Amino acid sequence: MSTTIEQSSTHGGVQTRPETAINTAKIDIENLDFFYGEHRALKSIELKLPNRQVTGMIGPSGCGKSTLLRVLNRMYDLYPGQRATGKAMMDGQNIVDPGVDLNSLRARIGMVFQKPTPFPMTIFENIAFGVKLHEKLSKSEMEERVEWSLNRGALWGEVKDRLHTSAMGLSGGQQQRLCIARTIAVRPEVILLDEPTSALDPISTLKIEELIDELKNDFTIAIVTHNMQQAARCADQVAFFYLGEMVEVAPAAQLFTAPKEKRTQDYVTGRFG
Amino acid sequence: MSEQSEHLVKSFDNDLKKLTDLLLRMGGIVESQVSMAAEAILRHDAEAATRTVEEDLKVDALEREIEQFVIRMLALRQPMAADLRLVVAALKVTGDLERIGDYASNVAKRSVVLAQFPAGYAMGGLSHMTGLVREQLRSVMDALGHADAEKAIEVWRSDRAVDDIYNTIFRELITYMMEDPRNITPCTHLLFIAKNLERIGDHTTNIAETIHYAVKGEVLPDARPKGTSAAFAIVRPKE
Repeated sequence: MSTTIEQSSTHGGVQTRPETAINTAKIDIENLDFFYGEHRALKSIELKLPNRQVTGMIGPSGCGKSTLLRVLNRMYDLYPGQRATGKAMMDGQNIVDPGVDLNSLRARIGMVFQKPTPFPMTIFENIAFGVKLHEKLSKSEMEERVEWSLNRGALWGEVKDRLHTSAMGLSGGQQQRLCIARTIAVRPEVILLDEPTSALDPISTLKIEELIDELKNDFTIAIVTHNMQQAARCADQVAFFYLGEMVEVAPAAQLFTAPKEKRTQDYVTGRFG
Repeated sequence: MSEQSEHLVKSFDNDLKKLTDLLLRMGGIVESQVSMAAEAILRHDAEAATRTVEEDLKVDALEREIEQFVIRMLALRQPMAADLRLVVAALKVTGDLERIGDYASNVAKRSVVLAQFPAGYAMGGLSHMTGLVREQLRSVMDALGHADAEKAIEVWRSDRAVDDIYNTIFRELITYMMEDPRNITPCTHLLFIAKNLERIGDHTTNIAETIHYAVKGEVLPDARPKGTSAAFAIVRPKE
């Protein structure tokens, strides 16, 4: 066909995809591989997590998205036989470098899991526990930090009168917000969320999503989710993973209206398998 | 729009197919309206004129049905990517088809009034124009049925020819009216008829753009090939 069509395609591309300005990378992943023993679970991943924005990670079970989160805060160090190669650069430092100090890394990159995991302690102690590992604070400083964290975790109003009761008495949604507050308490730079709402009811889910929206003003966030609508609602950019590969990454509006790759298209429209 | 593999949820595929079928059915009725309206002017067929107007009820009912169905699909299926584009496209196409039906009805009504005047005007231009517009509409509905973006682009390009004939007819009718004021009433009706046909061409072009977006995920550029606007040259105030 003539050149007019090509021109129209390029021109059209600009119009269809409202530019979500994607910030510069906080974490820049290059040629990252990950192995569970012999099994290569991540294959040459290239992905940038933009600073103070939300990256959604979607894909069928076993595609490697949770594995990638585990790599980013070096969870795999706990398990012999698991190793990562390649680069995941954060402020000039390679996260997967064996020489990295894990305690300070995990203070900078916090993680929240699918199932709320409050410690069997009081609400106050749940927050203070992690802080004490990294900082020496006076009693009043600690009280201030706990209040700040719970505020940022959108939980303060609900628990301020029962800070010294057990965290196990909170509802599932409250427990999850407590876990997020606990993660924030050590003032990380990056927060990794691994299906943070899959065990929650719709209202608690929306509260977490609102919280994520608020938190991205200060933190770089990566969220793994099985719920595509959630990725569409929360994420600035979305990455689609399949069989250990990062197939496509694009601003959320583009990925969900006009993905480039057929595999992405099949997955987001529910035509997989 | 069916070049895709099957949906994991089969009833979703059924819904998408039903949506396309509804649009094609609506398109079929609107095509027949345009054809009948053409018969009505070119052959002074009052019967065809009446039927054109009557069909409008069906078209309006289908538009409502498609709108409701689209809203239901958006709420219950939460379509994504190509599915989302098709569902939104359906909403736009149904609106364009409804307008085309209205213009065809209007042409038919005017044909009845025109029949009361002695026929003395060359109908060659209008005949050609109705032919082009019907062909465009048929092609665009074909493009919809086969999810054929290339065919949609062809239709989109061809609207220029309709614009050109419209401008020719416009000049011709102005000339008749200047020659003899008794021509003004019938020529005004003819002018509106030509304008309505030209608008039908525009809506057909809109449908072509919508289909292209639904299939490819890319919007065609704003500037569509247009004929020179001689009609405006005449009505534009002098500088």
